[in-house]
Amino acid sequence: MLFFSFFKTLVDHEITVELKNEICIRGTLKSVDQFLNMKLDNAGVVEDVRWPHLVSTKDLFIRGSVVRYVHLPSSAVDTQLLEDATRREAEAAKNKAK
Amino acid sequence: MSFFGFDTTLPRGAGHSNRAPGFGQTHDPFAGLSAAGGDEDVIDFEDTYDGLGDQLDETDDAFNDDTFGGEPASQQSIGKDFDFSGQTSQIANTLREEEMLYRARQPPPQRAPAQQATKPARSGYESYTDPNYIPQLEARADIWGLKPKNQTQSQSRQQENQSPAPAAGRAPAPAKKMLSLDEVEAMIRAQSMGQSQPTPPVQHSQIPEMPSQMQPQSHVQPFHQAPYSQGPFPGMPGPPGMVGPPGMAGPPGMAGPPGISGPQGMPGLPGAFSGPPHILQRPQQQAAPRGYGPRQPQQVHAELPGHSVQGSPMPQPTAILQRQRPPTDSTNQQRRHTPQPQVPVHHAPSQPRQILQNPNRLSGHGQPVMQAGQRGSAGGHGHNRGPSLPGMVVTHPEQLLHLTEEQRAAFLEEDAKRAKRNHKIALLARDNGLMTPQDKNFITRIQLQQLMAASGNVEGQGSEAALAEDFYYQVFSQIRGAPRQTPHQPASQFAQTYLFQTSSRYGAGRRHGRGGDNHMQRMEQQVQRAVEAAKARPKGKQLVFEGTLGKIAFSNTKTPRPLLNVTRSETVDKLKAHAKKSSAMDRKATLRNIEAVYLTLMTMEDHERLIPPPVREGSDPEAIQQHMEWRTKMEELHAQLWQDIKIMEPINPQSLTPHPFIAMLAHAKGKKAVPRIFRHIDDTERLTVLTMIVVNLDKLSVIANGIATPEEPLSPSVREEIELFTHTVMPPLFAHISESQLNMIIGLLGLVLSHTHPQIVARTKIGMNLLTMFLSRAELLKQSAPEMDVTEWEKWTESYNRLFDAIEPALPYLFPNTANDTDDRHIWGFLAAMGVHASPEQQQRLVLGVKDRVMETVTMSKTLPTDLAAPRLANVNLFMRAIGLDVELLG
Repeated sequence: MLFFSFFKTLVDHEITVELKNEICIRGTLKSVDQFLNMKLDNAGVVEDVRWPHLVSTKDLFIRGSVVRYVHLPSSAVDTQLLEDATRREAEAAKNKAK
Repeated sequence: MSFFGFDTTLPRGAGHSNRAPGFGQTHDPFAGLSAAGGDEDVIDFEDTYDGLGDQLDETDDAFNDDTFGGEPASQQSIGKDFDFSGQTSQIANTLREEEMLYRARQPPPQRAPAQQATKPARSGYESYTDPNYIPQLEARADIWGLKPKNQTQSQSRQQENQSPAPAAGRAPAPAKKMLSLDEVEAMIRAQSMGQSQPTPPVQHSQIPEMPSQMQPQSHVQPFHQAPYSQGPFPGMPGPPGMVGPPGMAGPPGMAGPPGISGPQGMPGLPGAFSGPPHILQRPQQQAAPRGYGPRQPQQVHAELPGHSVQGSPMPQPTAILQRQRPPTDSTNQQRRHTPQPQVPVHHAPSQPRQILQNPNRLSGHGQPVMQAGQRGSAGGHGHNRGPSLPGMVVTHPEQLLHLTEEQRAAFLEEDAKRAKRNHKIALLARDNGLMTPQDKNFITRIQLQQLMAASGNVEGQGSEAALAEDFYYQVFSQIRGAPRQTPHQPASQFAQTYLFQTSSRYGAGRRHGRGGDNHMQRMEQQVQRAVEAAKARPKGKQLVFEGTLGKIAFSNTKTPRPLLNVTRSETVDKLKAHAKKSSAMDRKATLRNIEAVYLTLMTMEDHERLIPPPVREGSDPEAIQQHMEWRTKMEELHAQLWQDIKIMEPINPQSLTPHPFIAMLAHAKGKKAVPRIFRHIDDTERLTVLTMIVVNLDKLSVIANGIATPEEPLSPSVREEIELFTHTVMPPLFAHISESQLNMIIGLLGLVLSHTHPQIVARTKIGMNLLTMFLSRAELLKQSAPEMDVTEWEKWTESYNRLFDAIEPALPYLFPNTANDTDDRHIWGFLAAMGVHASPEQQQRLVLGVKDRVMETVTMSKTLPTDLAAPRLANVNLFMRAIGLDVELLG
């Protein structure tokens, strides 16, 4: 849930999604779900020379499983909070395992 | 050309005489066929009869009487009845139409009467076995909705006697006077003559008038003076009312089993029953066992005065018609309504009809759709309804003509109301049926799924659980403000609310009879079950069924199925542990310590959120108790935290490894923990922390590694570390120092001088900042409280002198880099702080120590453009002014 929780805070921020097939798409994150499927608005492929067929794609839905990386705007990340959230997550996982 | 190949047109005289009762103008369904081509080849009955009739097993016919009743002789009316069927045939078409209508509108298929025949324990015909039994031929007044006059007492007595049998539960009112059918019919005839005359409103007599249009109905029942009260029991297709479903009422001879329809055992005289009359009659049968109380006399224009109900063997159909009149008496209505829910379910098919026929419902509650069928079936005689009834249904225009002025007004008003209501309903129902319940169910599922996806799960009921699951998002949105479209409210609560709202939306008054509600309930149950199933799911990640080779791994989005399941052997672990170096162990231990601190911190912060409302004097004990518990818990956590930061571990100067607390500060997350720790500890504890840091200043990684020289500048990582330390650890320390008293400062300065190497400390940014803090705090105290204790100042001066002496040799090396570098403000600041406290002699030594640097900077700034030179000169001036000089003087 941590990543879902995290990505939810990035809604309405511009992110760059790098897919497993090396396509990079930059766009505004509109929504994300528990599978980390994402919806991007105002999207555009970063190297439009390489993928000209994507030039006209403006809104898209990305299946979570095809995402390799998400480049984040660092200003939108609260590192310390993220650390704490991670700690909680780890703690919860530990408690569940018991 | 009949189906069986024999002539269906019976030879004259071979069949029933047309004059025979009930067969006057029978509707012959095959008439058309035979007319088309039958008459040429007439086949004799003898030619075609195969003698099957001889093979009939008649051995058990002896019991027919048991079943169908005994002596036909008791029926005085046979052969003398009206020509009912002739009348019926006149409206045969209508009747058939009505039958079709009825069938089309009857939702459940008619159950075969035989199926129900097995149910009752008591047949209701027991009395017929009594040879002396004479059937009571009078009608039951209560069935007709009339209250038998003077009979209430005897009736109740009879009720007691016969109560065991539900069918016979309602005792018939004892006959006072028995009328023969002849008499009845004579009266009927008479009545039909003078029909239009208004009748006295209240009557207990029941001889129905037979309006000409109505007669067809009534002649259905000439033989059925059957004792209703005795005969029918709920499930049994016994007396006329129950006779076969409309669909069975066919041509004569095939009509609803004659044996059944004629309780008196008069086979061969089946009425030419057609559907509607039977339908109408059924409720009466129902009514009797259900125990409707005796009815109040009704205002019925069809009734004839002067005939006692009990005395007249009633042609049933009339009674039926009367029954449809809504009783004007409100108590009657209630009586009629209230028992209905208790209608035995086993007689399902008749139930809807019951409702349909409820006259009050018909007119009062306006159920146009359902009504239609009923009205249709009653169509032929609809005008027989009492005109004075409020809200009656007028089906024939001429009916209006019979109404009085005020009745008409009332009727029109009623009609307008109904039309208005119908219009409203139509408006509301315009889009009805666009979605099936399944569709709605589907949509709701999707919505719920989305809600659950948004919330992660439905298990997290409270915000606390949501916070645990969705910590980052929840807190982040609280800190920075939630993204627009997402509500702050935890979504799982949202889901709950959603469910709740939906159920209440459909709930309460509209609950019954709504398909959608049912679906919602099912949905809720499903969700609940899903949640429970999720909870009940085995905690482990795998399930191995006994006797199977494979295992089932559970996975969900939160705990994905592990693709690699490597079990580490214990021995390897142990070997590694042995191989570990002590420093690695220390590092791990330190990291673990830090994590423990964080966990405690988070628990404390969680606990802080749960703080109960502040206790006032008037607070109730429970609140106080709550507060006390909270406080106790907080103190526990506080103690835990204090233990976790290991600050009280004894300082071992000889130890190679630094103090655990100082070791924590070597890690970035350890540094970050400090401000949070400071929030939760009190002043003395803060002082303890400060002291600990000061004592171990030169062991701090930021100081031990923080000495830079022009030749060997700080590595980026160290610089980052220093930066982090400056931003995390220093502010709380400064905050504490800035509130400390002079003796504290003196003590701390003394610690620096005694426990650390001041030269090293002073050559690092952090150390220098700390010293600057001490010095400036002392200066502030000197200015704000000059009248302070002189001895204190003497102590301070002494400390300062020691510091000055210790630092003086290092003065030329304070600057880690060349004058080109601008990052030396803190050094000039430190020098200024030193200069403020310095005696004139010390000031001179100070100037001497940093003279080269001052000159260098001033010279350099002259070569630089003004905007670059100004900040450098300002930095230098910071120091120069502290000792009463200015860079301008140097120019």
